[in-house]
Amino acid sequence: MSTAAPPAAAPAATPASRRRSLAGTLARRLRDTVVVLFLVLVVIFVIGHVVGDPVRSFASPDATDEQLAQLRSAMGLDRPFHEQFLGFLGDVARLDMGMSLWQQRPAMDAVTEVLANTVVLAVAGLIAAALFGVVGGVLAGSRPGTWVDRVVSTLSVISTSVANFWVGLLLIVVFAVYLRLVPTSGWYTWSSLLLPAVTLGFAHGGRICQVVRAVVLAEMTKPYVLAATSRGLPWRRLVANHALRNSGTTVVTTVGWEFARMFGGSIFPIEVVFAWPGLGPLMTTAAGRHDFPIVAAAVLVTGVLVIVVNAVVDLVGHLMDRRLGTGTAAEVPR
Amino acid sequence: MTPTSTTTTTTTTTARRPFAALRGRLWWLWAGVLAVVLLWAVTGDLLAPYDPMAQSPQDRLLPPGARTDAGLHLLGTDQLGRDLFSQIIGGARLTVVIALSATLIALAIGTVIGLCAGFYGGAVDRITMRLSEAQTAMPMFLFAILLVAAVGPSVTNLILLLPALGWPTVARVVRAETQRLRASPFVLGAVALGASDRQLLVTHVLRNLAPQIGVLFVIELGQLVLAEAGLSFLGAGVQEPDVTWGLLIASGRDYLAVAWWLTILPGLFLAATVLASNMLLRERERRTVA
Repeated sequence: MSTAAPPAAAPAATPASRRRSLAGTLARRLRDTVVVLFLVLVVIFVIGHVVGDPVRSFASPDATDEQLAQLRSAMGLDRPFHEQFLGFLGDVARLDMGMSLWQQRPAMDAVTEVLANTVVLAVAGLIAAALFGVVGGVLAGSRPGTWVDRVVSTLSVISTSVANFWVGLLLIVVFAVYLRLVPTSGWYTWSSLLLPAVTLGFAHGGRICQVVRAVVLAEMTKPYVLAATSRGLPWRRLVANHALRNSGTTVVTTVGWEFARMFGGSIFPIEVVFAWPGLGPLMTTAAGRHDFPIVAAAVLVTGVLVIVVNAVVDLVGHLMDRRLGTGTAAEVPR
Repeated sequence: MTPTSTTTTTTTTTARRPFAALRGRLWWLWAGVLAVVLLWAVTGDLLAPYDPMAQSPQDRLLPPGARTDAGLHLLGTDQLGRDLFSQIIGGARLTVVIALSATLIALAIGTVIGLCAGFYGGAVDRITMRLSEAQTAMPMFLFAILLVAAVGPSVTNLILLLPALGWPTVARVVRAETQRLRASPFVLGAVALGASDRQLLVTHVLRNLAPQIGVLFVIELGQLVLAEAGLSFLGAGVQEPDVTWGLLIASGRDYLAVAWWLTILPGLFLAATVLASNMLLRERERRTVA
């Protein structure tokens, strides 16, 4: 959550790295993706089998040591670690994360069932975040020092300073409990989507806003803007056609990176707040019941989502970069 | 008011921009907020008006400002009749302790890695930076929940896990600064005079990194306070009877419809703390630029 800076897509903005071929980028990106995925699997395995003890969740609390040992060998947990890890990788390849004791069915089924709900909320939140971030950032960055800038900048600092799930609770109190405009929680009508999406949008829009403001501001102080103004180009067209367009790559990569960050954690507390039937409530309930398979399956699925979104954003940034021929994705200011 | 030229200028500016006089002085307010929170963290519930744990069944869910036989309940009471303000003051300690220790660990790891990567370059640089990139792409927040599913929640888990969220940022900033310092004339001069790597790293690079590390400290502290609150809210962090602000928000949630203060007010203290650190950073930025 705290990792503020986007994963530097290209190490340095040297002319050589700017002109890297698409095939080369694809290959590099694929390799990085595989490495990260492998690391995620290693962490899941280590937490499950080394830090935790799978037998504990199956056996009754008063089982004797002998019974525990029997169960251990029946589950193959007395084999050497590398064998167990290979077995685990095999299971993952078959999308088999084990049986959920709580739900009495394969853990992966429980996860895939609610995955779509989480994605729906994330997309709605992304739209809200992009609206707040891009519109606010452009307005603030193109008119620095005005009251618009001050309001937008204050909002964006607040957005990065508050616990985002708490914003959700605040909205529930105001709009659902006191004003009774929308349902408090769950997913019954499409209006249920409104508050969680706004919460998510506010949580992520702030950072987008700060980045967009910075790039637009930097763009607006360039000499060509002065030249265009002196030739009488309307301010509105200057901002829309020139400043915004030239900062397009940065804007797109920042928005995409915030999308990945949602799956990296911020969306789940918000889902819990609004009782949104997604991965968040499933994971926390499962964790509370020590149902490791479901949490592991959920972590794997969201981990893959984060990795895929990151990779796609990186590629899109690269493609846009080539078309525009300006800056690189790595030049995102904090 | 004496009509000197200075006051006239001030009043005209104040008339045009109502908050202009406050600008540049507002940082006292933010520093004050942080100081109060730190004071609460040090003194624990000594400064609390009531015993945070004292239950009083007949005084349940009283709104802020309610008076009972015991006295004024400034921020109201919870479902067991405990004074909310006292709980917030008592909860400051663990909130600060967790965030502070996690931040210090993250700073230590990030600084050492960033220093080595920036100073030595080459393979060390490539491997550690690749690692920090991979780390940023991994859902650390979820690993915390996974850990809870495997071994159950604990404060120790939290203090050990939170730094994993923070160190990549630290490492990246420290690395960049180290690279800059490494190439600066005074370090090259020290090399020419035969300084050892250790001397270079500690005396010449690390000491000059102090301001950046100070800034990183404030950034990370704010972020990790929020991360702790999020994890505690999900049940993956601090557990009852321990109290942090994140946990207060979580336990008040069941009474949202009847007692908004139980969730909203602890969150307000949390927000004020993080906002204070962020505003101080902005103030510093403004001064360095000016």
